[in-house]
Amino acid sequence: MTGAIPTIALVGNPNAGKSSLFNALTGARQKIANYPGVTVERKAGHASLADGRPAALIDLPGSYSLTPASPDEAVTRDVVLGRQAGERRPDALVVVVDAANLDNHLCFALELIALGLPTVIALNMVDLAERDGLTLDPERLAAELGVPVVPTVAVRKRGLTDLLAAIDGAILSHQTQAAAIPAPQPTDVELHQRARAIARAATLAETPVRRWTQRVDAVVLHPVAGFLILLALMFVMFQAVYAWSEAPIGWIEDGIAALQGVATDTLPDGFLRGLVVEGLLAGVGAVVVFLPQILILFLFILLLEASGYMTRAAFLMDGLMAKVGLSGRGFIPLLSSFACAVPGIMATRAIPDPKDRLTTILIAPLMTCSARLPVYTLIIGVFIPNRAVGGLPVGLQGLVLFGLYVAGIVGALIVAFVLRRSVTKGSAAGFMMEMPRYQWPRLRDVAISLWQRAWIFLRRAGTIIAFTTVILWLLLSFPKAPADSEMRQVDYSIAGRIASGLETVVRPIGFNHDIALALIPAMAAREVAVSALATANAIDAGDDEDQVAMSLGERLQGRWSLATALAFLAWFVFAPQCISTIAITRRETNGWKWPLFMVGYLFLLAYAAAGITYWTAVAFGLG
Amino acid sequence: MIAKLDSAPLGMTVRIARIDWDILSHDEGRRLREFGLMEGIEVKPLHRGSLFSREPLALGIGRMQVIIRGRQAAAIAIEPVEVEPAAAA
Repeated sequence: MTGAIPTIALVGNPNAGKSSLFNALTGARQKIANYPGVTVERKAGHASLADGRPAALIDLPGSYSLTPASPDEAVTRDVVLGRQAGERRPDALVVVVDAANLDNHLCFALELIALGLPTVIALNMVDLAERDGLTLDPERLAAELGVPVVPTVAVRKRGLTDLLAAIDGAILSHQTQAAAIPAPQPTDVELHQRARAIARAATLAETPVRRWTQRVDAVVLHPVAGFLILLALMFVMFQAVYAWSEAPIGWIEDGIAALQGVATDTLPDGFLRGLVVEGLLAGVGAVVVFLPQILILFLFILLLEASGYMTRAAFLMDGLMAKVGLSGRGFIPLLSSFACAVPGIMATRAIPDPKDRLTTILIAPLMTCSARLPVYTLIIGVFIPNRAVGGLPVGLQGLVLFGLYVAGIVGALIVAFVLRRSVTKGSAAGFMMEMPRYQWPRLRDVAISLWQRAWIFLRRAGTIIAFTTVILWLLLSFPKAPADSEMRQVDYSIAGRIASGLETVVRPIGFNHDIALALIPAMAAREVAVSALATANAIDAGDDEDQVAMSLGERLQGRWSLATALAFLAWFVFAPQCISTIAITRRETNGWKWPLFMVGYLFLLAYAAAGITYWTAVAFGLG
Repeated sequence: MIAKLDSAPLGMTVRIARIDWDILSHDEGRRLREFGLMEGIEVKPLHRGSLFSREPLALGIGRMQVIIRGRQAAAIAIEPVEVEPAAAA
């Protein structure tokens, strides 16, 4: 392998600060893909060694040992053993250990050192260990372990140069060494005893654990207060999604309107101008407008995760989730599903129990993902008055949005309860996980993740959504209605005729022709419903100046009753309208059985919920 | 009667006397050992459940905190720590 770029794998326990170290070493230029055949994320990047030579870095999933308990941990084992398909065995390992938790993290480190690859220990988060009153002796630790030990503070980029130099040294000296003789495999109890003995030897001074984490936990994990704090946090999160996004949404809308103006002025009247202005810009613009809200939601989730709070939330929710046959482990995937069900369903891999995991996958689409936000925001903005509730600093619009989120959660709990007693029956799920320490989220790490999410969303808007809106525009624009026709162009077109067929099915639940039309392309992705309404609206307005001046909201207000709007909202709480979710479910469950089951039960629920909402609203005179 | 970890009072350090590995699944037992929960180790129950349930249980072990369910805690027999070592947190 002389001349080739060396591959260095970062490996360690969960909560060792591995990802921060990876970010610090590679910067924002990372490649995220999947390992072939499994949906475990492969994070790769590049770093420069001391003499400027490049090195490839891979960040392996956090693991406790070489005996895997989940698909993620299996990838870690297979990569370090050189068994992972499509991945060369790493030339060196950087074992990341939490300096304040050596007792535990050295177990896995010992296992990894015994593999005989060039290995360097990154004694990470030494600053936090010192804050906790722990003084360590890295040289003694290196002598005990027989490999170089470099103290690092990933989040402050401390020790990185030394770490890279040590890796280089380890690779070079290894080439001249004979292969290590494999030692007899110790049992996990023996491994632990050795780890504890080494940790003790390397510890120079130790004062009792600082009390402040425990003081915070006394409140945050309090059976009643802790739960109220969790609810309040989630409520603030959803209010912020609304309140903070107003201004940036305005800027994006102005930008798109300006682009439409430029296109109208420069393109000759005809097919191309229609396609660009009414199809592409109206459709894609209607979705891109929601980027601020999606970013705010992800920002909250990333902050909660980075601070260590998310595991506390899982702890608080476990009791409730156990009652419906799930575990607190499922809380993190389900909360991620509020952003998007696809990463949420992928995150279920951390759930060891297969039935527990399957149930969590099946209910993940019920969490209100960010793709529903465009639909909810549009309809709420148009039909729900923007006023405070009873003099409280809480808007009625925000309250309705909160209610829709709650409807999804309650629906999910009921579905899980039923499923765990029928199709996914099995023994009670377990819940074992480590509670990380509190930490200040690092701006840089959060910014990198946020940028990755924004990019995924924009790429979607630029590809799948742009494609479906253009197709829809074509279907809506042809064939052209004759000038003397009584029918509107939208009704006369191919799409209009398909929608008319669908309308007979959905009319009983209060849906009109507009909605039937929007539901078809929204199968690709929920937010397309909004761009479909926008495109149909743009075509419908045609060249009539007054009509064009009216916003989509004003037009909907004139055409939909409140009962119809509420039924439309209720539909989207449940409807499985997202190709990506169906595809990821197929991949994660290895077949078509469960995604089809999921789609079936969600459509039934959506139809029933929309119907009940409509009929109730009509009974109260809102029809 | 032998005291079990699932009914141990919060905030008091206890020593693990024995773990009934037979009533735990293979994976559960291994994960307990990976957390460092084994015979002779001292642990401190810190938090238990929330509004809805007395589960799960958060344990302090060394400088780490781990979460387990009552079912696993019930497999762990505990004994009091007679002499508090000076270095104990």
